Amino acid sequence: MGPPHDKAKVGVGDGGRPGIISEVTITGEIRGSSKPPGRRPLRGRVTSLEVLCLVLVLALVLQGWLVDLLDVPQLQTAATVFVAVCVQAMPFLVFGVLISGAIAAFVPASALRRLLPKNTALAVPVAGVAGVALPGCECASVPVARRLMQQGVPPAVALSFLLAAPAVNPIVLVATAVAFRDAPMMVPARFVGSLLTAMVMGWLWTRFGKTEWIAERALRKLEEKEGTSRWAVFAETARHDLVEAGGFLVLGGVFAAAFNVLVPTSWLETLGAQVVLGVIVMALLAVILALCSEADAFVAVSMTALPLLPRLVFLVVGPAVDVKLFALQAGTFGRSFALRFAPATFVVAIASAVVAGVVFL
Amino acid sequence: MRRETQNILLILLGGALLKLSLTGMFLRYVKAGLQPLLIATGVVMIVLALIAIVRDMRGPAEIAHDEHGHEHRSSRSPWMLLLPVLAVFLISPPALGADTVNRSDRNAAQESNKGNGFAKLADGQVIPLTLGEFVTRTAWDDSGSLNERDVKLTGFVVRKQDSVYVARLAISCCAADASPIKVKMVGQPFDSLPTDQWVEVTGRVVPGSATKDTAYVPTFTVASIVPVATPLDTYES
Repeated sequence: MGPPHDKAKVGVGDGGRPGIISEVTITGEIRGSSKPPGRRPLRGRVTSLEVLCLVLVLALVLQGWLVDLLDVPQLQTAATVFVAVCVQAMPFLVFGVLISGAIAAFVPASALRRLLPKNTALAVPVAGVAGVALPGCECASVPVARRLMQQGVPPAVALSFLLAAPAVNPIVLVATAVAFRDAPMMVPARFVGSLLTAMVMGWLWTRFGKTEWIAERALRKLEEKEGTSRWAVFAETARHDLVEAGGFLVLGGVFAAAFNVLVPTSWLETLGAQVVLGVIVMALLAVILALCSEADAFVAVSMTALPLLPRLVFLVVGPAVDVKLFALQAGTFGRSFALRFAPATFVVAIASAVVAGVVFL
Repeated sequence: MRRETQNILLILLGGALLKLSLTGMFLRYVKAGLQPLLIATGVVMIVLALIAIVRDMRGPAEIAHDEHGHEHRSSRSPWMLLLPVLAVFLISPPALGADTVNRSDRNAAQESNKGNGFAKLADGQVIPLTLGEFVTRTAWDDSGSLNERDVKLTGFVVRKQDSVYVARLAISCCAADASPIKVKMVGQPFDSLPTDQWVEVTGRVVPGSATKDTAYVPTFTVASIVPVATPLDTYES
């Protein structure tokens, strides 16, 4: 892995006017290179700005028709769940991009390297435990993990942080304790299960992971012009991450809403009464429901028909891998990363949860 | 996508969040406690976009491009931000209702309340109770404190097969984790009440009706039922 160690390039040709950063963007799924950058004369071209105006006007004109179209109970439920997922997650995403911006602007790569043990295998558990300090749900940890990678933290370590943070922080643990008042051992079981997942995935990445799976754009730094103030870097990084990750978060919300309506959860819940089948069913349910890690304990506790172990699996798998998170990861780190990382996490999380469950429950 | 368009989308999205949180519409989707966070989020989004716009205006020649044009592959993902904006401003989906209740057989009578003991019910002719408390008591309170007592419940009408229920949804974080709480109504025909109509019902529980066989859904003999307006916060917690 290399790029993160590069010193920020200094744009000499542009005269280095203060207060300006040039944005290197990122994301390459689309062949957008023909697009004229910046303010070159745009005669004869349709830009996204015109498209946006057109879409807005069309939406306004067709509003009545749209509302009628959605006047079906299932579609209304899906629309409500979609808005709910977006509204619930946005504050946490904004929190995450602000931290990400702060890391980019105020934490030099050398400081992070000094903080973490040199040996990656040792740094992985340290990063996992450090997840305690990020009190948010999974949407916050993705941009932070990516920024850590850009600042030169080894991917294995950043990924371990990514998996641990949403599950082991105090808010989530307290929520779990409140929900499972009658089974207090769920709290240590969840903590250990999630931490184990994060550490095993970190070590697996150290051993087998390849940096080229991670999209190059995820590791590239925003270029800094000479004289750019740190606050400008902070604001620009946060804005950029918010726009990019926000789009994928919304995509995840669409999936979550669709599954919420299309998958017969009541049927799945009755299937779950046998332990082995229950573990698998609850793991799948955790992926497709894409609940916020602060809320999933309350859902798990209401599934009274199930034994505790499948419910623990639900709590450990959910914050580590779900459809919303998959969309975010694919958008942030690239599809070839997400397609390998998410299934591996799924298997490791189930195994870790079962181990923790056997020990604690 | 051009930077200008991204900024406009951010302002629109921030505006949508502000509209939701300042008008109380947000209660259809999330819990009341999230309001300050939502306002802050909307403000941060708008401020970040405004900073970018102001800085672009000050130094137009250098924004969003440099010498290496090949690096300027822009992403299509920010377009997705338009979806919640349109959903909020144009469609503003309603709070969840009967459709969601009928999706699950769970009844959110939390077993964990079992051991806590139940406080004595208030004296008086008619006791107003939340559906959650009513269901929990009928299912787990062995002392039969509700038997022979007149109770008033508030919820919306739900129909499944031939049964009619008064129900509410409990959320712990957002509408995606809603779980239903329902009580089966008997004692009179409810044909005049449309599904999803909010009602206040007064009546008595049928003792011993909330068991494992009925999935802890108690039966309620209705003495009177009155349609009421939809409350601002439709969810129980």
